[in-house]
Amino acid sequence: MEKYEKLEKVGEGTYGKVYKAKDKATGQLVALKKTRLEMDEEGVPPTALREVSLLQMLSQSLYVVRLLSVEHVDNRKDGRPKPVLYLVFEYLDTDLKKFIDSHRKGSNPRPLAPSLIRNFLYQLCKGVAHCHSHGVLHRDLKPQNLLLDKERGILKIADLGLGRAFTVPLKSYTHEIVTLWYRAPEVLLGSTHYSTAVDMWSVGCIFAEMVRRQALFPGDSEFQQLLHIFRLLGTPTENEWRGVTSFRDWHVYPQWQPQNLARAVPSLGADGVDLLSKMLKYDPAERISAKAALDHPYFDSLDKSQF
Amino acid sequence: MEFDLENPLTDLEDLTSDSVASLFLTESDHMPSHSYFSSLQAGDMDILVRREAIASIAQFLTFRSSFMQFSCNFDPLLSYLAVNYLDRFLSCHLMLQPKQWVIKLLAISCVSLAAKMKKTDISISDFQGDAGIIFDTRTIGRMETLILGALKWRMRSVTPFSFISHFISLFKLQDPPLTQALKARAVHIIFKAQKDINFLVYNPSIVSASALLSASHELFPLQFPCFRNALSNCSYLNKDNLLHCYNALQAVVLEEYESVSEAVSSTVTPVNVLDQIFSSSESGKSNTVTTLRLERDIKRRKISHYCHNQTVHVSQIRQF
Repeated sequence: MEKYEKLEKVGEGTYGKVYKAKDKATGQLVALKKTRLEMDEEGVPPTALREVSLLQMLSQSLYVVRLLSVEHVDNRKDGRPKPVLYLVFEYLDTDLKKFIDSHRKGSNPRPLAPSLIRNFLYQLCKGVAHCHSHGVLHRDLKPQNLLLDKERGILKIADLGLGRAFTVPLKSYTHEIVTLWYRAPEVLLGSTHYSTAVDMWSVGCIFAEMVRRQALFPGDSEFQQLLHIFRLLGTPTENEWRGVTSFRDWHVYPQWQPQNLARAVPSLGADGVDLLSKMLKYDPAERISAKAALDHPYFDSLDKSQF
Repeated sequence: MEFDLENPLTDLEDLTSDSVASLFLTESDHMPSHSYFSSLQAGDMDILVRREAIASIAQFLTFRSSFMQFSCNFDPLLSYLAVNYLDRFLSCHLMLQPKQWVIKLLAISCVSLAAKMKKTDISISDFQGDAGIIFDTRTIGRMETLILGALKWRMRSVTPFSFISHFISLFKLQDPPLTQALKARAVHIIFKAQKDINFLVYNPSIVSASALLSASHELFPLQFPCFRNALSNCSYLNKDNLLHCYNALQAVVLEEYESVSEAVSSTVTPVNVLDQIFSSSESGKSNTVTTLRLERDIKRRKISHYCHNQTVHVSQIRQF
């Protein structure tokens, strides 16, 4: 790690602290993530090996944050009993959360341009489709995890949650760290067999948030989170979502009728509302896939050749 | 997160066009450098080092399978993956005259990494009974780290196996036993090609396509032109490289037949495989029967075809 000079702590990622650092030789800025993966008696742990190499493969996409290298640190002087792995990613100075905040607060509050929302959403779907085509779910998509290269106008997915070694805590330690706002209803209801559709729910929530400049479902507990969802989309019944009442954490909820989704995103056109409604389908099997979303009429006005 | 050589990207069942594209785009990250091939060829690097390391890999795995014979069978893909790591490692660390134990350590570490990727339950201590050199787990762990660094942690190797399903899907074969036979033969050829340094220059997709062509040429000569066209229409494949690699593979395959035919009496009568295939599939017999008959016929044909039809073979190459 002598190659890098730590500059500042930039965040608490899903898997641990993230530092902004500089490559001493090239001056390149990087994001350093210390993983919880430790070397054991049998060398590199197999799960770490499989997952890091998968991350390596996924980061070939323009829409996924690039993994530049993996540093294996064997520095036993600092009292650590075992060597640790650091992941070195390209550094991007802003994320979608900061970007949306800057349009809501500050000196010049203004909506995000509709063409920009369309552009960002398309890139997000591209990145998600890429992960899904490799059999990988993100499971924790949120604006903080979408990094922006403002100069080039590129949105990149960060903090990919892979398998066991990286598992995103579903039941949070503290609600400050793990946000529930983008979590799919089947996950909130305790389903353990979830699929790529969980990411598409998150994409829908992020889409709406870009339009509204505030979160669509800002719940502060799992129960509250479900109530937020049910109040807007109606309390689900066995009719629109077979098996919903059999979920582990299903309770009896107030019976709300579905509201008009367009009213939650007033500045969004009809095509956009249609796409959003397909991303927010209750039944995961009916929810639109990332690949299908790319072909939705909402993106017809976009010049796709640039991607 | 299991790693399947035939499907390194995804555990989803259908191979999407996007995932096929990423296979072609990333394959060159998973092969040794061109300088490796040229230094092996020029003798700058001793070809015996590679050969010895490959022999060690085989030895470890054979030892293991005899040790574990009742619980599991040795997976040949494990050795393929280990040799892939070995070549890629050697291509960034030219070893001029490594000590015997270094070669062994490298081989054992490649096997250990491959086993972890393939989720094969293998413990480094399994190897420690191997007569000769004994390494402690920490030494192997350090070697693993060195290999991972050199390979940039790109351990989900894209190999010729990764392309087989995609190419076979281009052939639009209807009959599962035929597909099975074609695939089995191509896999065999891919294994043979790995041992031969002349194939190190070709991208995995080229080796895969050439092996399938070679297999189809011997199994279904009538459909060969059709398969060849299907592959020629694949925009990711460089036609010249495909032709060169295919010709080189045919030479290797031919060598194999010559050695087989020397060992077998020359009284085998040629059999028309295609008639057999059609009659057995049309008559609605069970797949097992068809496959068995097919395999037997292939074996006969292997010998007869190359003993008697070499002129046809050469002319077909020219048409390519």
